[in-house]
Amino acid sequence: MDCTRYRESIHELVDGTLGPIRRAELAQHLDACEACRVLADDLRFVRDTAGSLEAVEPPARVWLQIAGRLHKEHGAAPVAAHGLQRHAALFALAAALLLAVSASLVFLLRDDRADTPGARPAQAGDAVPGDPVQAIAEDIRLAEMHYQNAIGKLEEVARLDQSSGQTTLDPQTAATLQKSLLVIDQAIAESRAALRSEPQNEPARDSLFEALRRKVAVLQDTVVLMNEMRRGNAAGAAQVMDSLNKS
Amino acid sequence: MSTSKPIDHAVPALVPPGRAADRALVERCRAGDLGAFEDLYRQHSRKLFSLACRMVGSPTEAEDLLQEIFLTAHRKLDGFRGESALSTWLYRLATNQCLDYLRSRAARTDQVTETLDEEPGWYQPGQRGLAEQTVSKIDLERALTRLPPGCRAAFVLHDVEGLEHREVAEVLGVAEGTSKSQVHKARLRLRALLRR
Repeated sequence: MDCTRYRESIHELVDGTLGPIRRAELAQHLDACEACRVLADDLRFVRDTAGSLEAVEPPARVWLQIAGRLHKEHGAAPVAAHGLQRHAALFALAAALLLAVSASLVFLLRDDRADTPGARPAQAGDAVPGDPVQAIAEDIRLAEMHYQNAIGKLEEVARLDQSSGQTTLDPQTAATLQKSLLVIDQAIAESRAALRSEPQNEPARDSLFEALRRKVAVLQDTVVLMNEMRRGNAAGAAQVMDSLNKS
Repeated sequence: MSTSKPIDHAVPALVPPGRAADRALVERCRAGDLGAFEDLYRQHSRKLFSLACRMVGSPTEAEDLLQEIFLTAHRKLDGFRGESALSTWLYRLATNQCLDYLRSRAARTDQVTETLDEEPGWYQPGQRGLAEQTVSKIDLERALTRLPPGCRAAFVLHDVEGLEHREVAEVLGVAEGTSKSQVHKARLRLRALLRR
Protein backbone atom coordinates (compact mmCIF):
# COMPACT_ATOMS: atom_id res chain seq x y z
CA MET A 1 0.00 0.00 0.00
CA ASP A 2 1.42 3.40 -0.98
CA CYS A 3 1.11 5.35 2.22
CA THR A 4 3.45 8.22 1.26
CA ARG A 5 0.70 9.95 -0.73
CA TYR A 6 -1.33 10.31 2.48
CA ARG A 7 1.49 11.82 4.51
CA GLU A 8 0.61 15.46 3.84
CA SER A 9 -3.07 14.75 4.50
CA ILE A 10 -2.20 13.25 7.88
CA HIS A 11 -0.29 16.40 8.83
CA GLU A 12 -3.21 18.56 7.73
CA LEU A 13 -5.63 16.34 9.65
CA VAL A 14 -3.57 16.91 12.80
CA ASP A 15 -3.46 20.66 12.07
CA GLY A 16 -7.25 20.64 11.59
CA THR A 17 -6.93 22.14 8.11
CA LEU A 18 -7.84 19.14 5.96
CA GLY A 19 -10.77 19.75 3.62
CA PRO A 20 -13.85 17.45 3.65
CA ILE A 21 -13.11 15.56 0.40
CA ARG A 22 -9.52 14.67 1.23
CA ARG A 23 -10.61 14.01 4.78
CA ALA A 24 -13.08 11.36 3.63
CA GLU A 25 -10.42 9.83 1.37
CA LEU A 26 -7.94 9.74 4.24
CA ALA A 27 -10.52 8.25 6.61
CA GLN A 28 -10.93 5.32 4.22
CA HIS A 29 -7.19 4.81 4.14
CA LEU A 30 -6.83 5.02 7.91
CA ASP A 31 -9.51 2.37 8.35
CA ALA A 32 -7.43 -0.01 6.29
CA CYS A 33 -3.90 0.97 7.36
CA GLU A 34 -2.84 0.53 10.97
CA ALA A 35 0.56 2.15 10.50
CA CYS A 36 -0.93 5.39 9.21
CA ARG A 37 -3.57 5.31 11.93
CA VAL A 38 -0.87 5.00 14.60
CA LEU A 39 1.11 7.77 12.90
CA ALA A 40 -1.90 10.11 12.93
CA ASP A 41 -2.58 9.27 16.59
CA ASP A 42 1.08 9.83 17.51
CA LEU A 43 1.30 13.18 15.77
CA ARG A 44 -1.93 14.27 17.43
CA PHE A 45 -0.52 13.12 20.77
CA VAL A 46 2.66 15.18 20.21
CA ARG A 47 0.60 18.25 19.27
CA ASP A 48 -1.80 17.86 22.21
CA THR A 49 0.97 17.25 24.74
CA ALA A 50 2.88 20.27 23.44
CA GLY A 51 -0.26 22.36 23.72
CA SER A 52 -0.72 21.30 27.33
CA LEU A 53 2.77 22.39 28.46
CA GLU A 54 2.40 25.04 31.13
CA ALA A 55 3.79 28.53 30.79
CA VAL A 56 6.84 29.13 32.97
CA GLU A 57 6.82 32.10 35.34
CA PRO A 58 10.09 34.05 35.32
CA PRO A 59 11.62 34.66 38.77
CA ALA A 60 10.59 37.99 40.30
CA ARG A 61 14.21 39.15 40.40
CA VAL A 62 14.38 39.40 36.59
CA TRP A 63 12.32 42.59 36.48
CA LEU A 64 14.43 44.05 39.26
CA GLN A 65 17.55 43.37 37.24
CA ILE A 66 16.06 44.84 34.06
CA ALA A 67 14.85 47.93 35.92
CA GLY A 68 18.27 48.28 37.53
CA ARG A 69 19.99 48.17 34.20
CA LEU A 70 17.60 50.64 32.60
CA HIS A 71 18.01 52.92 35.57
CA LYS A 72 21.76 52.76 35.14
CA GLU A 73 21.67 53.26 31.37
CA HIS A 74 19.03 55.96 31.19
CA GLY A 75 18.78 57.39 34.67
CA ALA A 76 15.07 56.56 34.55
CA ALA A 77 12.96 57.33 37.58
CA PRO A 78 10.86 54.24 38.19
CA VAL A 79 9.64 55.37 41.59
CA ALA A 80 8.08 58.57 40.35
CA ALA A 81 6.70 56.90 37.24
CA HIS A 82 4.67 54.32 39.08
CA GLY A 83 4.13 56.05 42.35
CA LEU A 84 5.47 53.04 44.19
CA GLN A 85 7.46 53.08 47.35
CA ARG A 86 10.61 51.54 46.06
CA HIS A 87 14.01 51.67 47.50
CA ALA A 88 16.19 53.64 45.09
CA ALA A 89 19.16 51.58 46.18
CA LEU A 90 17.55 48.45 44.81
CA PHE A 91 17.88 49.64 41.26
CA ALA A 92 21.48 50.69 41.49
CA LEU A 93 22.18 47.46 43.29
CA ALA A 94 20.43 45.38 40.67
CA ALA A 95 22.56 46.98 37.99
CA ALA A 96 25.73 46.27 39.94
CA LEU A 97 24.68 42.68 40.42
CA LEU A 98 23.96 42.16 36.80
CA LEU A 99 27.37 43.47 35.85
CA ALA A 100 28.98 41.23 38.43
CA VAL A 101 27.19 38.13 37.27
CA SER A 102 27.81 38.97 33.62
CA ALA A 103 31.50 39.38 34.29
CA SER A 104 31.61 35.93 35.81
CA LEU A 105 29.64 34.47 32.94
CA VAL A 106 32.10 35.94 30.46
CA PHE A 107 34.75 33.98 32.25
CA LEU A 108 32.69 30.81 32.35
CA LEU A 109 31.65 30.97 28.74
CA ARG A 110 35.01 31.88 27.26
CA ASP A 111 36.13 29.02 25.07
CA ASP A 112 39.83 29.68 25.46
CA ARG A 113 41.36 27.99 28.44
CA ALA A 114 44.81 27.90 29.88
CA ASP A 115 45.28 24.42 28.47
CA THR A 116 45.57 26.10 25.09
CA PRO A 117 48.44 28.50 25.82
CA GLY A 118 48.68 31.54 23.64
CA ALA A 119 45.01 31.46 22.67
CA ARG A 120 44.07 34.18 25.16
CA PRO A 121 45.74 37.58 25.24
CA ALA A 122 47.29 38.58 28.55
CA GLN A 123 44.74 39.99 31.02
CA ALA A 124 45.21 42.39 33.85
CA GLY A 125 44.45 39.63 36.32
CA ASP A 126 47.01 37.18 35.03
CA ALA A 127 49.34 36.38 37.88
CA VAL A 128 52.04 34.65 35.92
CA PRO A 129 51.80 34.96 32.15
CA GLY A 130 52.33 31.60 30.54
CA ASP A 131 51.60 29.59 33.68
CA PRO A 132 48.23 28.00 32.88
CA VAL A 133 47.47 26.74 36.39
CA GLN A 134 48.08 30.10 38.06
CA ALA A 135 46.21 31.91 35.28
CA ILE A 136 43.15 29.76 35.92
CA ALA A 137 43.41 30.28 39.67
CA GLU A 138 43.61 34.03 39.13
CA ASP A 139 40.64 34.04 36.75
CA ILE A 140 38.58 32.11 39.27
CA ARG A 141 39.62 34.47 42.04
CA LEU A 142 38.58 37.53 39.98
CA ALA A 143 35.26 36.02 38.94
CA GLU A 144 34.53 34.98 42.51
CA MET A 145 35.40 38.45 43.70
CA HIS A 146 32.70 39.87 41.41
CA TYR A 147 30.17 37.49 42.88
CA GLN A 148 31.24 38.16 46.45
CA ASN A 149 31.03 41.89 45.83
CA ALA A 150 27.45 41.48 44.63
CA ILE A 151 26.62 39.18 47.53
CA GLY A 152 28.05 41.66 50.04
CA LYS A 153 25.98 44.52 48.63
CA LEU A 154 22.82 42.45 48.66
CA GLU A 155 23.38 41.37 52.24
CA GLU A 156 23.93 44.99 53.18
CA VAL A 157 20.67 46.13 51.57
CA ALA A 158 18.74 43.29 53.19
CA ARG A 159 20.25 44.18 56.57
CA LEU A 160 19.53 47.91 56.17
CA ASP A 161 15.99 47.18 55.13
CA GLN A 162 15.42 44.96 58.13
CA SER A 163 17.04 47.32 60.62
CA SER A 164 15.08 50.33 59.30
CA GLY A 165 11.94 48.55 60.43
CA GLN A 166 10.24 49.12 57.06
CA THR A 167 9.96 45.43 56.38
CA THR A 168 10.01 42.51 58.74
CA LEU A 169 10.35 38.97 57.60
CA ASP A 170 8.34 36.51 59.63
CA PRO A 171 10.43 33.95 61.59
CA GLN A 172 9.48 31.05 59.31
CA THR A 173 10.55 32.94 56.16
CA ALA A 174 13.75 34.07 57.84
CA ALA A 175 14.49 30.46 58.85
CA THR A 176 13.87 29.21 55.29
CA LEU A 177 16.25 31.81 53.92
CA GLN A 178 18.85 31.05 56.53
CA LYS A 179 18.67 27.35 55.76
CA SER A 180 19.03 27.92 52.00
CA LEU A 181 22.02 30.16 52.53
CA LEU A 182 23.70 27.67 54.88
CA VAL A 183 23.38 24.86 52.34
CA ILE A 184 24.79 27.10 49.61
CA ASP A 185 27.66 28.29 51.82
CA GLN A 186 28.55 24.68 52.51
CA ALA A 187 28.67 23.97 48.76
CA ILE A 188 30.83 27.05 48.20
CA ALA A 189 33.27 25.97 50.91
CA GLU A 190 33.56 22.45 49.49
CA SER A 191 34.13 23.63 45.91
CA ARG A 192 36.65 26.20 47.08
CA ALA A 193 38.58 23.55 48.99
CA ALA A 194 38.64 21.28 45.94
CA LEU A 195 39.88 24.14 43.77
CA ARG A 196 42.61 25.06 46.21
CA SER A 197 44.16 21.63 45.86
CA GLU A 198 43.45 21.38 42.13
CA PRO A 199 42.82 24.72 40.33
CA GLN A 200 42.17 22.99 36.99
CA ASN A 201 39.35 20.87 38.41
CA GLU A 202 36.51 21.91 36.06
CA PRO A 203 33.61 20.24 37.94
CA ALA A 204 34.73 21.99 41.14
CA ARG A 205 34.94 25.31 39.32
CA ASP A 206 31.49 24.82 37.81
CA SER A 207 30.07 23.86 41.23
CA LEU A 208 31.62 26.94 42.81
CA PHE A 209 30.07 29.29 40.27
CA GLU A 210 26.74 27.51 40.40
CA ALA A 211 26.68 27.87 44.19
CA LEU A 212 27.67 31.54 43.99
CA ARG A 213 25.01 32.14 41.39
CA ARG A 214 22.42 30.48 43.59
CA LYS A 215 23.46 32.62 46.52
CA VAL A 216 23.06 35.78 44.43
CA ALA A 217 19.64 34.51 43.29
CA VAL A 218 18.46 33.78 46.86
CA LEU A 219 19.62 37.19 48.07
CA GLN A 220 18.03 38.93 45.09
CA ASP A 221 14.79 37.14 45.81
CA THR A 222 15.05 38.25 49.43
CA VAL A 223 15.35 41.89 48.38
CA VAL A 224 12.46 41.49 45.94
CA LEU A 225 10.39 39.83 48.68
CA MET A 226 10.99 42.75 51.03
CA ASN A 227 10.07 45.14 48.25
CA GLU A 228 6.81 43.33 47.53
CA MET A 229 5.98 43.24 51.25
CA ARG A 230 6.61 46.95 51.50
CA ARG A 231 4.27 47.52 48.55
CA GLY A 232 1.65 45.39 50.27
CA ASN A 233 1.59 43.06 47.26
CA ALA A 234 0.67 39.71 48.81
CA ALA A 235 0.49 37.89 45.46
CA GLY A 236 3.95 39.15 44.46
CA ALA A 237 5.38 38.16 47.84
CA ALA A 238 3.84 34.69 47.54
CA GLN A 239 5.42 34.24 44.11
CA VAL A 240 8.85 35.17 45.46
CA MET A 241 8.39 32.84 48.42
CA ASP A 242 7.55 30.04 46.03
CA SER A 243 10.75 30.73 44.12
CA LEU A 244 12.74 30.83 47.37
CA ASN A 245 11.29 27.53 48.55
CA LYS A 246 12.37 25.91 45.29
CA SER A 247 15.95 27.21 45.51
CA MET B 1 -3.38 48.35 31.66
CA SER B 2 -5.51 51.40 31.05
CA THR B 3 -5.82 53.24 27.77
CA SER B 4 -6.55 56.91 27.91
CA LYS B 5 -9.32 58.28 25.67
CA PRO B 6 -7.29 60.85 23.72
CA ILE B 7 -4.95 58.13 22.48
CA ASP B 8 -7.87 55.87 21.54
CA HIS B 9 -9.37 58.65 19.43
CA ALA B 10 -6.07 59.21 17.68
CA VAL B 11 -6.03 55.64 16.37
CA PRO B 12 -7.90 54.89 13.13
CA ALA B 13 -11.20 53.10 13.67
CA LEU B 14 -10.15 49.98 11.73
CA VAL B 15 -7.22 49.24 14.00
CA PRO B 16 -8.13 46.33 16.32
CA PRO B 17 -8.59 47.44 19.95
CA GLY B 18 -5.58 45.34 21.03
CA ARG B 19 -3.36 47.17 18.56
CA ALA B 20 -4.57 50.53 19.82
CA ALA B 21 -3.72 49.49 23.36
CA ASP B 22 -0.32 48.27 22.16
CA ARG B 23 0.41 51.61 20.54
CA ALA B 24 -0.66 53.54 23.59
CA LEU B 25 1.57 51.43 25.82
CA VAL B 26 4.51 51.75 23.44
CA GLU B 27 4.04 55.53 23.29
CA ARG B 28 4.25 55.72 27.07
CA CYS B 29 7.38 53.58 27.04
CA ARG B 30 8.97 55.75 24.36
CA ALA B 31 8.27 58.79 26.51
CA GLY B 32 10.53 57.25 29.16
CA ASP B 33 7.80 55.96 31.48
CA LEU B 34 9.42 52.97 33.16
CA GLY B 35 6.12 52.11 34.82
CA ALA B 36 4.67 51.57 31.34
CA PHE B 37 7.61 49.38 30.46
CA GLU B 38 6.97 47.37 33.62
CA ASP B 39 3.36 46.90 32.42
CA LEU B 40 4.69 45.70 29.08
CA TYR B 41 7.03 43.31 30.91
CA ARG B 42 4.22 41.95 33.11
CA GLN B 43 2.01 41.35 30.08
CA HIS B 44 4.56 39.49 27.97
CA SER B 45 7.35 38.13 30.18
CA ARG B 46 5.64 34.83 31.01
CA LYS B 47 5.19 33.81 27.37
CA LEU B 48 8.65 34.99 26.35
CA PHE B 49 10.29 33.25 29.31
CA SER B 50 8.47 30.02 28.42
CA LEU B 51 9.65 30.37 24.83
CA ALA B 52 13.25 30.99 25.94
CA CYS B 53 13.19 28.04 28.38
CA ARG B 54 12.02 25.70 25.63
CA MET B 55 14.43 27.10 23.09
CA VAL B 56 17.60 26.92 25.20
CA GLY B 57 16.54 24.08 27.53
CA SER B 58 17.75 25.78 30.71
CA PRO B 59 15.81 28.15 32.99
CA THR B 60 19.05 29.75 34.17
CA GLU B 61 20.15 30.62 30.66
CA ALA B 62 16.59 31.62 29.78
CA GLU B 63 16.62 34.06 32.71
CA ASP B 64 19.67 35.84 31.29
CA LEU B 65 18.12 35.79 27.84
CA LEU B 66 14.86 37.27 29.12
CA GLN B 67 16.78 40.25 30.47
CA GLU B 68 18.51 40.73 27.14
CA ILE B 69 15.22 40.36 25.26
CA PHE B 70 13.53 43.14 27.25
CA LEU B 71 16.58 45.40 27.23
CA THR B 72 16.76 45.00 23.45
CA ALA B 73 13.01 45.63 23.20
CA HIS B 74 13.44 48.83 25.21
CA ARG B 75 16.21 49.98 22.88
CA LYS B 76 14.26 49.10 19.74
CA LEU B 77 10.81 50.37 20.69
CA ASP B 78 11.29 53.36 18.39
CA GLY B 79 11.29 50.87 15.52
CA PHE B 80 7.89 49.42 16.49
CA ARG B 81 5.45 50.82 13.95
CA GLY B 82 2.41 48.86 15.01
CA GLU B 83 2.13 46.98 11.70
CA SER B 84 2.09 43.72 13.62
CA ALA B 85 0.79 43.04 17.11
CA LEU B 86 3.19 43.95 19.89
CA SER B 87 3.22 40.29 20.97
CA THR B 88 4.31 39.22 17.46
CA TRP B 89 7.03 41.88 17.44
CA LEU B 90 8.27 40.69 20.83
CA TYR B 91 8.11 37.02 19.80
CA ARG B 92 10.24 37.87 16.75
CA LEU B 93 12.78 39.69 18.86
CA ALA B 94 12.87 36.90 21.45
CA THR B 95 13.13 34.11 18.88
CA ASN B 96 16.01 35.87 17.13
CA GLN B 97 17.80 36.33 20.45
CA CYS B 98 17.34 32.64 21.28
CA LEU B 99 18.53 31.52 17.84
CA ASP B 100 21.60 33.80 18.05
CA TYR B 101 22.35 32.44 21.50
CA LEU B 102 22.03 28.83 20.33
CA ARG B 103 24.31 29.55 17.38
CA SER B 104 26.99 31.05 19.60
CA ARG B 105 26.62 28.24 22.14
CA ALA B 106 27.00 25.66 19.38
CA ALA B 107 30.10 27.45 18.08
CA ARG B 108 31.64 27.54 21.58
CA THR B 109 31.04 23.88 22.21
CA ASP B 110 31.76 22.71 18.65
CA GLN B 111 28.24 21.34 18.36
CA VAL B 112 27.20 20.36 14.86
CA THR B 113 23.85 21.85 13.95
CA GLU B 114 21.53 19.04 13.06
CA THR B 115 19.25 19.28 10.08
CA LEU B 116 16.08 17.44 9.27
CA ASP B 117 16.76 16.91 5.58
CA GLU B 118 16.15 13.24 6.00
CA GLU B 119 12.76 12.61 7.46
CA PRO B 120 12.89 10.09 10.27
CA GLY B 121 11.26 6.73 9.61
CA TRP B 122 7.54 7.18 10.07
CA TYR B 123 6.30 3.81 8.94
CA GLN B 124 6.77 1.42 11.82
CA PRO B 125 4.00 -1.18 11.85
CA GLY B 126 3.46 -3.28 14.94
CA GLN B 127 4.63 -0.63 17.42
CA ARG B 128 2.42 0.75 20.16
CA GLY B 129 1.28 4.33 19.83
CA LEU B 130 2.73 7.10 22.02
CA ALA B 131 -0.52 7.46 23.93
CA GLU B 132 -0.20 3.84 25.10
CA GLN B 133 3.35 4.38 26.29
CA THR B 134 4.22 6.36 29.39
CA VAL B 135 5.39 9.46 27.56
CA SER B 136 5.31 12.45 29.87
CA LYS B 137 5.51 16.18 29.38
CA ILE B 138 9.04 16.03 30.75
CA ASP B 139 9.97 13.52 28.03
CA LEU B 140 8.63 15.93 25.45
CA GLU B 141 10.50 18.90 26.98
CA ARG B 142 13.70 16.86 26.88
CA ALA B 143 13.15 15.72 23.29
CA LEU B 144 12.50 19.33 22.24
CA THR B 145 16.10 20.27 23.02
CA ARG B 146 17.25 17.74 20.43
CA LEU B 147 15.49 19.43 17.52
CA PRO B 148 17.45 21.71 15.20
CA PRO B 149 16.97 25.33 16.39
CA GLY B 150 14.88 26.65 13.46
CA CYS B 151 12.59 23.68 13.55
CA ARG B 152 12.33 23.90 17.35
CA ALA B 153 11.33 27.57 17.11
CA ALA B 154 8.54 26.84 14.62
CA PHE B 155 7.25 23.94 16.73
CA VAL B 156 7.33 25.85 20.03
CA LEU B 157 5.62 28.89 18.53
CA HIS B 158 2.91 26.83 16.81
CA ASP B 159 2.23 23.78 18.94
CA VAL B 160 3.21 25.09 22.39
CA GLU B 161 2.44 28.80 22.21
CA GLY B 162 -0.54 28.34 19.89
CA LEU B 163 0.37 30.81 17.15
CA GLU B 164 -1.16 30.32 13.70
CA HIS B 165 1.20 29.33 10.86
CA ARG B 166 0.70 32.83 9.43
CA GLU B 167 1.94 34.33 12.70
CA VAL B 168 4.82 31.85 13.00
CA ALA B 169 5.87 32.79 9.47
CA GLU B 170 5.79 36.47 10.43
CA VAL B 171 7.85 35.86 13.56
CA LEU B 172 10.45 33.74 11.79
CA GLY B 173 10.49 35.79 8.58
CA VAL B 174 9.69 32.78 6.40
CA ALA B 175 6.86 31.72 4.09
CA GLU B 176 3.77 30.17 5.65
CA GLY B 177 4.52 26.92 3.80
CA THR B 178 7.96 26.82 5.41
CA SER B 179 6.40 27.18 8.84
CA LYS B 180 4.08 24.24 8.13
CA SER B 181 6.90 22.12 6.80
CA GLN B 182 9.13 22.90 9.83
CA VAL B 183 6.36 22.07 12.31
CA HIS B 184 5.52 18.83 10.51
CA LYS B 185 9.17 17.76 10.44
CA ALA B 186 9.50 18.63 14.12
CA ARG B 187 6.49 16.49 15.07
CA LEU B 188 7.89 13.55 13.10
CA ARG B 189 11.28 13.90 14.73
CA LEU B 190 9.73 14.19 18.18
CA ARG B 191 7.68 11.10 17.50
CA ALA B 192 10.83 9.20 16.58
CA LEU B 193 12.63 10.51 19.71
CA LEU B 194 9.75 9.63 22.02
CA ARG B 195 9.19 6.12 20.68
CA ARG B 196 10.98 3.46 22.61
